[in-house]
Amino acid sequence: MNTPKDDVVRFDMRDRVEHLLVMIIFFLLALTGLPQKFHDAAISKTIVDALGGIAQVRFLHRAAGVLFAIMTLIHLVTVLGRVLTGRSSLAMVPGAKDFRDVVTTLRYYLRISDTRAQFDRFDYKEKFEYWGIVFGGIIMITTGFALLYPIEATRFLPGQIIPAAKVAHGSEGLMAFLVVILWHIYNVVFAPEVFPGSKTIFTGKISRERMRHEHPLEYARMFPEEANEILGQHAAEPVPKQDG
Amino acid sequence: MQAFSKKTARALGFLTLLFAPVAAAEEANDCLSCHGEEGLTLTLENGEEAPLFVKQDALAGSVHKALRCTDCHAGQNQVPHPERHYKDLAQFRNSFSETCKTCHFENYTKTLDSVHYAMQARGDVFAPNCVKCHGAHDIARPAEPRTRISQTCATCHRQVSETYAKSVHGKALLIEKNPDVPVCTDCHRSHDIADPKNRAWLMSTPSLCGKCHADAKLMKKYGLSTNVLSSYLSDFHGTTASFDAKGERTKDEPVVALCVDCHGIHDIAKVTGQSAAAFRANLVKTCAKCHEGASENFPAAWLSHYEPSLKRAPLVYLVKLFYRIIIPFIVGGLILQILLHLWRSVVNR
Repeated sequence: MNTPKDDVVRFDMRDRVEHLLVMIIFFLLALTGLPQKFHDAAISKTIVDALGGIAQVRFLHRAAGVLFAIMTLIHLVTVLGRVLTGRSSLAMVPGAKDFRDVVTTLRYYLRISDTRAQFDRFDYKEKFEYWGIVFGGIIMITTGFALLYPIEATRFLPGQIIPAAKVAHGSEGLMAFLVVILWHIYNVVFAPEVFPGSKTIFTGKISRERMRHEHPLEYARMFPEEANEILGQHAAEPVPKQDG
Repeated sequence: MQAFSKKTARALGFLTLLFAPVAAAEEANDCLSCHGEEGLTLTLENGEEAPLFVKQDALAGSVHKALRCTDCHAGQNQVPHPERHYKDLAQFRNSFSETCKTCHFENYTKTLDSVHYAMQARGDVFAPNCVKCHGAHDIARPAEPRTRISQTCATCHRQVSETYAKSVHGKALLIEKNPDVPVCTDCHRSHDIADPKNRAWLMSTPSLCGKCHADAKLMKKYGLSTNVLSSYLSDFHGTTASFDAKGERTKDEPVVALCVDCHGIHDIAKVTGQSAAAFRANLVKTCAKCHEGASENFPAAWLSHYEPSLKRAPLVYLVKLFYRIIIPFIVGGLILQILLHLWRSVVNR
């Protein structure tokens, strides 16, 4: 059914490389960070020893953290530049429709209604994860640098910001880890619709079938000849104009 | 390996006690007919003179009073004694440790790992051996009274002993005769005394201090918090130390702050009451020992073993509270959505 001819491009090379790098760095940060947070656990000792001791683990964590900070900076600067020059869509910006979509989806899950939310380029789950990693990332980067340079950080700020940064860094990191491990991995690997896993973020391609199912509003814009067929059945949402 | 257990040694001692007193006294008289003579010496190979004089009733006050001379000085029951050769005084003295080994094998074996034995092995004449600490004929229980232990060590470690005497522990021991405080051997051990510069030993100091300072019953007596060890371990320094204690570290890596780096070693003082102000005033300097360029703000980065609270560290407390609420809320919400999604998928089939 899904012949390559049927595929459409969803992510360009830049998105794919960015995701791959973030994925590797995130894994490395979690691997070297969580054993420091849960230093009492037996598995933490095993991991730290396997990586060559706590000094080595900290070095890896800091190196990965600095890389992550650089990547975040590059990402934000490029996105901002593209938005300002009108070369980027604002598809990732959350709007009122996303909140309506949450309600529609929950009503659907609870069998209150059989109407499914119709998503555009990014559904609310994707937006939640994107903004989660942006804001979470900013928290991790600022607290991480405060912990890396405590003397400089407390030159003008009160000393208390260091233990506060430590709590925030550990807790935010744990939350990010849990969100990714549970929510992201479920949505892209274990959810019945995509099991045994969607390869879209690695190949950049998605089948028309899945596209029609998961992003009908964007699909309708891509293939206007099918728009009525797809949206006709639901017609709950008008086809929005393409932004940007 | 253990040739003589403590039990066997005790059993032998008991048997000797039953049968020995009369015979022991007779034998002592025989030996003292020569060794009771003041100035009796043996010339060693290097020309040094080894004293062989033994005081009348030398064993009377000792724990070994029921033993015969030859129980320790084995092989000397023939007169004249079989000829023996000692290079120097050090070798002559150390030969007595071999004697103690016969019964006290366990403790003897422990000394082989000690910094004192390492001195002996180097041929140091002043190296302590069994008799140097315990005495020879006048041997008594080493920890009775408890203050005796510190006095024994002070024979050589005069300066350290004076510093200790002024510390919170030393004062309690020497002035109040308080048996709860550590004496030298509680930290340094008695027979297997490690080199205090030894990394493994240094890294074990948090658990060493924790032996008492994490003991709820003991600390309650003095109104001290047992939170000191756990709060240390959960902070940056303690986490490093606890990982470090296991793995082998590279030489160029700086040692992380241990209890003693802030509180002192032999000069440990109270951090509450009168000396608190001095301790606090000194904090920036203490931190700057490792954290060069630390400002006046810096010491507050360490919460002084206190749990964060609205009063003591409001920012830390609030950040902690925020995540304590937000993490279950977010993660719980996402898990609920996953379960609902799965359920709806099953229903759809």
